Amino acid sequence: MSSAWPSLLLRLALIASLALIAGALLGSLAAWATACAALLVLLVSHTAYLARLQRWLKQPESQAIPDAWGAWGNVFMTLYRHLRNEDKRRESIAADLEVFSQAAEASPDGLVFLDANERIRWCNRVAESQLGLDGERDRDLLVTNLIRAPHFAEFLAGARVGESLLYRPANRKGMTLSLEAIRFGKDRKLLISFDVSQIERADTIRKDFVANVSHELRTPLTVIAGFVEHMIEEPSPDAEETQHQLGIVNDQASRMLRLVDDLLTLSRLEGETQLPREEAFDVRDLIYEISSEARRLSGGRHTITCEVVPAMLKGSRDELHSAFSNLVSNAVRYTPEGGRIVLRWAVQDGKGSFSVEDSGIGIAEEHVPRLSERFYRVDRSRSRESGGTGLGLSIVRHVLLRHQADLQIRSAPGVGSTFSAEFPAWRVTTPLT
Amino acid sequence: MPHSEHFSKQYDSDLEDVRSRVLQMGGVVEAQILAAIECFSSGDTERMTEVTDTELRVNAYEVDIDDLCVHIVARRQPAARDLRLIMGVSKAVTDLERMGDEAEKITRMARLIHERKGPQIPLQAEVRRSGDLAVAQLRHALDAMARLDPDEAERIISEDALIDTEFRGILRQLITFMMEDPRTISTALEIIWVAKAIERIGDHAKNIAEQVIYIVRGTDVRHTGKERRHGVADEEH
Repeated sequence: MSSAWPSLLLRLALIASLALIAGALLGSLAAWATACAALLVLLVSHTAYLARLQRWLKQPESQAIPDAWGAWGNVFMTLYRHLRNEDKRRESIAADLEVFSQAAEASPDGLVFLDANERIRWCNRVAESQLGLDGERDRDLLVTNLIRAPHFAEFLAGARVGESLLYRPANRKGMTLSLEAIRFGKDRKLLISFDVSQIERADTIRKDFVANVSHELRTPLTVIAGFVEHMIEEPSPDAEETQHQLGIVNDQASRMLRLVDDLLTLSRLEGETQLPREEAFDVRDLIYEISSEARRLSGGRHTITCEVVPAMLKGSRDELHSAFSNLVSNAVRYTPEGGRIVLRWAVQDGKGSFSVEDSGIGIAEEHVPRLSERFYRVDRSRSRESGGTGLGLSIVRHVLLRHQADLQIRSAPGVGSTFSAEFPAWRVTTPLT
Repeated sequence: MPHSEHFSKQYDSDLEDVRSRVLQMGGVVEAQILAAIECFSSGDTERMTEVTDTELRVNAYEVDIDDLCVHIVARRQPAARDLRLIMGVSKAVTDLERMGDEAEKITRMARLIHERKGPQIPLQAEVRRSGDLAVAQLRHALDAMARLDPDEAERIISEDALIDTEFRGILRQLITFMMEDPRTISTALEIIWVAKAIERIGDHAKNIAEQVIYIVRGTDVRHTGKERRHGVADEEH
């Protein structure tokens, strides 16, 4: 504005002086004609600029801004500067938004932004996979139409602080989510989903463990208490029967003792922060020792053979003794009379492997991954009658873990099983022969 | 998803409300069927009463939604897609309510099976699998309804055959059990009821998918082959 008036005055002065010159030379008519013509030119040129401005405003791009001089030049220049600032601002907002959505995307929890009507505005990828949504396709859909768990709608409508809802998405087996709804802005809501499957699983395992331990300890105790009570109230005159009853009490007591021993071993192994004692010992000796123990346990009902190569193994002999003999006594327990059991120690590519192969009842495939869980039993009645505590394989797994060894189980029902422990090469030395 | 702008905002929100109530009802029925199948595999009697209690909720939903539909028809006289939505929704509600009944039937049979002493039939895993399939069908049908996605609906219709195959497989195995040991017959008959109920649930899910196609495309695909499913819908857009 400031520069438009002086420029107009300048032009008018120019026109007036032109007209005066023309008037002085050619008379007053010529002066008027010159003035009119010059004003006309001025008007046309302004209109032309105006037209260009209008044309440009239809698609205002900073590159295509028209050139001009004088007052119009100033106008265009100011517009150009304005536009460029606007562009810069937009870019920085876009960059901020990008950073923000990257941050939301990086969140380990699922985030869903909802508008005032609980329609989905945006969700991150975690939410997509956890809740089965699709940010593009499901935009503007009611979230309650897609997450239809009973009580979810009421939960979301309430959106109370600190309240969460457990949700098990049906399309993701075994997953448990904890949902939280948070109000923000004006009536907007943020739905957050945390994956709590692990926590829940750990909780279940803990509860199961306590229940199992109590149950396992209670069973022999009930038997002992029953017999002792009987003996006190009605002492049997028959010495042989008393002897028999005492035998049962003794069996049950030793079972409890075994169980408590195993529990202590397990808790010691779990709590052990120190590395196992590293001593190199002869594996053959250990295996022969275990095989003679196994023969005693079997009482001649099985054929037990050893196939071993000479080697030294580094590790805690005591711990490995308990692990190996657990594997062997399992084989003895679950192999019917007349079956055969092979204890094998082999070295291949420097790696040592101890394996126990039996011709026993075998294990169905679905049980194999869960075998080393505490108190996991394929057949409850069977394993208790054979004297197992339900902790053997947990102990084996822990010991092997401490020796960086792998427990591998191959089994076919009715054919037999092979349990093998594979040790890393650095724990094994073979004597040069 | 506001698919049309009416002069009355209230009308739009009524239509939206009907649809989302049907989906809520669907969620309740889905949970009910899952609980019923769980009852069958575990014999958990506590969950059995849960299924029966849910039945009351489902029935209340049905009455409520029907009432809403009647109101909309009477007051707004819907046409074209809105009319189809009302019709489709009220049919889907009937299907959902029947599914709830089937779930109840499953728990009833589960109770009989688990209370009977005698030889068991180890088909839990098979029944469970077909049950999971049927529930997945229902879930997908409801998703298709929420997204008004006729392609998804078509996929559901074509996958119904899977559940039928499972059903026939269970039947075949039951026959062998019954031939081996006649003491298993009464249990086997009850398992047939369960398997049949699951198969019916799959059929109802398919019906809901057909309603989705009807709402979006305006073609009635019931009792027709695949070729007719692609519709003549767009005339009123």
